[in-house]
Amino acid sequence: MNLLAAHTDDGDRPIHGGGPTAPRSSRHRGAHEREGAGRLGEGNLAGLGHLLRFMLRRDRLWLPIWVLALSALTAYFANAIAVVMDSDSLQAMTAFAKNPVMALITGPGYGLDQVTVPRFIVGMYGVFLMIGAALMSILTVSRHTRAEEQTGRAELVRASVTGRHTQLIAALVLTVFMNLLLAAGMAAAFGFSQAEPDSWSATVLFAVGIGAVGCVFAAVTAVTVQLSAFARAASSMAGAVLALSFVLRGIGDMSHVSGGSLDWLSWFSPLGWAPQTAPFTLDRWWPLLYSAGLFAVLVVVAVVLQSRRDLGAGIVAERLGRSQAGLLLSTPPSLALRLQASSLIWWSLSMLVMGVVFGSFTGPMDEGAAGMPPEILSIMGGRSGIVDGYLGYMALYFAIIVAAYAVIAAGGLRSEESAFHTEPVLAAAVSRAGWLVSWAVVTLFGAGWLLAMAGLGEGVGAAVSMDDWSLLWPALLGHLAQAPSIWALLGFA
Amino acid sequence: MSTVTRTRRTDDNRASASAAISMHEVVKSFGRVRALDGLDLEVDRGEVHGFLGPNGAGKSTTIRILLGILRHNAGTVRLLGEDPWSKAVPLHRRLAYVPGDVELWPGLTGGEAIDLFARLRGGVDRRRRDELIERFDLDPRKKGRTYSKGNRQKVALISALASDVELLLLDEPTAGLDPLMEAVFQDCIREAKDAGRTVLLSSHILAQVEALADRVSIIRSGRIVETGTLSELRHLSRTTIAVGLEHDAPALSEMTGVHDLVREGSRLHFSADTAQLPRIMRALGEHDVESLTATPPTLEQLLLRHYGKEES
Repeated sequence: MNLLAAHTDDGDRPIHGGGPTAPRSSRHRGAHEREGAGRLGEGNLAGLGHLLRFMLRRDRLWLPIWVLALSALTAYFANAIAVVMDSDSLQAMTAFAKNPVMALITGPGYGLDQVTVPRFIVGMYGVFLMIGAALMSILTVSRHTRAEEQTGRAELVRASVTGRHTQLIAALVLTVFMNLLLAAGMAAAFGFSQAEPDSWSATVLFAVGIGAVGCVFAAVTAVTVQLSAFARAASSMAGAVLALSFVLRGIGDMSHVSGGSLDWLSWFSPLGWAPQTAPFTLDRWWPLLYSAGLFAVLVVVAVVLQSRRDLGAGIVAERLGRSQAGLLLSTPPSLALRLQASSLIWWSLSMLVMGVVFGSFTGPMDEGAAGMPPEILSIMGGRSGIVDGYLGYMALYFAIIVAAYAVIAAGGLRSEESAFHTEPVLAAAVSRAGWLVSWAVVTLFGAGWLLAMAGLGEGVGAAVSMDDWSLLWPALLGHLAQAPSIWALLGFA
Repeated sequence: MSTVTRTRRTDDNRASASAAISMHEVVKSFGRVRALDGLDLEVDRGEVHGFLGPNGAGKSTTIRILLGILRHNAGTVRLLGEDPWSKAVPLHRRLAYVPGDVELWPGLTGGEAIDLFARLRGGVDRRRRDELIERFDLDPRKKGRTYSKGNRQKVALISALASDVELLLLDEPTAGLDPLMEAVFQDCIREAKDAGRTVLLSSHILAQVEALADRVSIIRSGRIVETGTLSELRHLSRTTIAVGLEHDAPALSEMTGVHDLVREGSRLHFSADTAQLPRIMRALGEHDVESLTATPPTLEQLLLRHYGKEES
């Protein structure tokens, strides 16, 4: 049989239009190389078109679900607010919305002095849609780059005629495309909603701002996937950048609303630029130039990092572990603890830091309350009531975050199972129920521990800013009181 | 042992110009771990080269460096005359690769995966692809998550063998295949050799290497410890001999090249340096030999000698 049989070329041509398949042993430097030439170097983008089409094929469910879900969320916000709010309740809500704590969570609050339904929606709900777009981008990029390397599938792709940066760039193109679709979907959902925005250009600006946030976090993830060898860690790092951006923007916007001097902080957060476009109020496009600039810089950094590392490796080399199992690693619960330990440590640190940050707002809150009209103050329970209320609210806030940890950790058991790590454990004289219970118990204590960390941070932050150490205990206890509700949730998970 | 390696490299420069693979003094470290420690490997064009070594000796690392997906720290590497890191894409058009542990996309069928790799290469020989699917008895309509290890392996094998390339890099390609498929695989490799392709075959299946390989390189702790044809390698090791003798042969125990001489009733057992065999046989001829069995060293014995040996 002749292996050299001429190609019956009924397969797809490369879309860059390479010549007919070259005979064996010829050098064959076709259109691929020339096309990839330029800043990214010779052939580094070979196979981009094929890989892109392939990614679209893989994401035929993932992509529409994300885009439709976030667009539907926009439609829901827009219609619900428009239907529920008459102008009186809108005014009342606005008084509440101008509170610094709300600025911390939602944004700089442009146009709330003369509020309209579109302004209210943009000011109050925009940031949630931005976080949604950012999460979509983080997960999509990491899924098509580092996750592929981690499973070893990228090795087969790279051993084929594919450039060094093709997968990364294809993932970025795909994600930018998703964000464009998302912006279009959101603009349509908002524009045709009951909110009846009076200006299409402002509607589009709002939607494009959200898409821009998504694109920036796609580029952030493109960098983090170069750093860690593991997809989950890379996504978590990008998530940490998102959290940090949120906190920076929050502090800046809070300062902006209460007339403080820290409002420049918002300009250092990728989440800060889109709200600064102030759709329906100032309608300015130029803050998005920052997004575009950061996107470009991060993509270049990612490409440079990638050309310096081995496939499958992170920038940081793996260290050698211990050769023998320690004494602690001998029972199912201790194995479960060991497997959850690294994420638990990171979560503990971030909880502690976030606790301190949010706790330290207690002082400004208290001062802000001093300037409030007395009638509103009395509704909110007086000055001490505001402090207690704030700490209580933050406890709930942290409880929601820790609940996310609990659900993710419980999900870890499932991924252990599907990765066939569970089989050898169960084969080694450990009952199914025993393993499940061990895992759950560790997560249970882990969640309690994280709440304690958040409470400790919050208490210390509040105590320092208020100069009143008696706040420490109530803050800690207030957080721990949230534990049972998380445990109940864990039961479902 | 080094004699074989040395004769192979007498005219170094001329050899590396025509060699399919030529690696000299290659070093690769992962953090503090030294995976390759001055590795030398020559594979001529058109040969099937067996690549043997214990787990963790550096076989896969070597192949990944050749693929240009790992960057070596020191030494020179030439693949088909070019640098595998900087010329990865043009080189990949001329080679195909099968890893020992194939991962596929859970939501994609085997047929789709084969076509993806073919299209990345720039076209698919559909007749050849279908013929190989038939021969390897693969159902291309099943999704990646439902394939067993052996079936995932077949997907990678088919897409590699269906492509029209000069060089096949195979890293334990038949791990998980059943004996029937093993036979199909060996046929395919013979056809590839007849078509003038070069094959680097890393394997643990010694029968496979014995059946296919023209030459063999044995790697240990990141270095090549032996290279040569199988008969050359055999020459360096010992043949096990059992002789039936009525009388003692005292001269035998003093001969160079005779080891572990044991008498068991009327039978003598010893192992002989294969290079000394003619002399030993002549010495035996002076006695009344009643029976004689000589067992040449198996590849297994060759390997065990190297696998077990600590670094000097």
